[in-house]
Amino acid sequence: MPLLACRRDVLRLAAAAVVAGVAWPALAADPVQLVQGTAQQVIDIVKTKTGADRQAAILQVLQTKFDLPAMGRFALGTHWNQATEDQRARFLKAVATAEARAYSERFGQYGGQTLTIGKVTPRANGVSIVDSRLSQTSGQPIKLEWEVRNDRITDVKVEGVSMVMTRRSDFNSYIQNHGGKVDALVQELEARAAR
Amino acid sequence: MAASIRRSVVAFALCGGLVGGCASGDTGAAEVWDPIETPNRFIFSINRAVDIIALRPLAVMYRDLVPERAQTSVRNALDNLGEPVTAINEVFQGDPSRAATTVARFLVNSTIGLAGLFDVASSFGLERTKEDAGKTIGMWAGVEPENGGFYLVLPVVGPSNARDGTGMMIDYLVDPFRILTFNLAGNNWDAWQAARYGANVVDYRSRTIFALDDLERNSVDYYAALRSAYTQNRADAIRQKREKTDTKSELERRENLSLVK
Repeated sequence: MPLLACRRDVLRLAAAAVVAGVAWPALAADPVQLVQGTAQQVIDIVKTKTGADRQAAILQVLQTKFDLPAMGRFALGTHWNQATEDQRARFLKAVATAEARAYSERFGQYGGQTLTIGKVTPRANGVSIVDSRLSQTSGQPIKLEWEVRNDRITDVKVEGVSMVMTRRSDFNSYIQNHGGKVDALVQELEARAAR
Repeated sequence: MAASIRRSVVAFALCGGLVGGCASGDTGAAEVWDPIETPNRFIFSINRAVDIIALRPLAVMYRDLVPERAQTSVRNALDNLGEPVTAINEVFQGDPSRAATTVARFLVNSTIGLAGLFDVASSFGLERTKEDAGKTIGMWAGVEPENGGFYLVLPVVGPSNARDGTGMMIDYLVDPFRILTFNLAGNNWDAWQAARYGANVVDYRSRTIFALDDLERNSVDYYAALRSAYTQNRADAIRQKREKTDTKSELERRENLSLVK
């Protein structure tokens, strides 16, 4: 009987080891590769492209590496449910353009930075948080946290400030101050994108 | 009847606001409790006008025209003057050894570092920290760090909240440097203090030009975006302090256990 129990334990341990062995790389390696790959891609774009070319390339990175629909949906908050299909599509398109422009301008002023990846923390719902530091040529390094789900980046936190959360506050306040209508926000974003 | 319904709706909304602001929600950062939004927005617009006309141009000039080494020295000197307040806060954050390091930094930099112009202590391995009473309160308050009481926009200073505003007042009152120099400086005390705070504002603004320009350009409601960003940034700083203490106390607990054995 003790032997049996012992064997059961060994089996259980082996099973745990297999699970850990399989689950660990799936949880840990991919988010890091995703973040590192994305950072490298963006650095290459910033080095080689400027202006409209750069914005288009950044938009492509955003569309392939980030989960833009989920981010947009979260940023719109409760207003997402009230929005029509057409409004949602227009909103997502305008937000993608706005983010692409913001990123291409933001990195336009950057130069010579390196991204060092830190530890990866798995969270509930298949979310992983990848810690990293952006070292600048002068001044303190900037703390960046990447939220990754299903092989897509779903949020970036700069010094604790979440991009999506800030957008959510921003958008919600704008909608509230414009009669609670999503249309006002969509129009404003589209007007900005056209500029 | 309609009036009473309306009144109860208002009361309900008020209650919701109060409870929502005080309760520790899951994140809280999405909706910052801002019951005095109208006066806040008013101060915000005045601040912004002052910023556009005077402060930002001054900060840009400071950043672009003053040699970088001079800027570093000014920052070192200002940080050095703030070191005693940091030390006091570190004591109240339950980290006396870190406070001792900060005091050592202050003594080294004030003497060998020529009144703080050079950060000699860092090259000795004494790293710089910056603490304030807002963080100290946030560390011990039993609420989510996103919840700092009502949001508050202060003249010139800008975004704050009940917690950080109180903290700022405490820091000002306990500042040993301010208290001790009161008798030494004599009649010029006000001028020295004003120069110090003025220099702090310009230096701080010059370091936030990039981030704030970016936030303003990419938001549809700058006030709301800054409110959210400020709250999240402070919450992150406080959360880091809390996690550090948790790890430390856990290690101490284990050490004590092993001593008992």
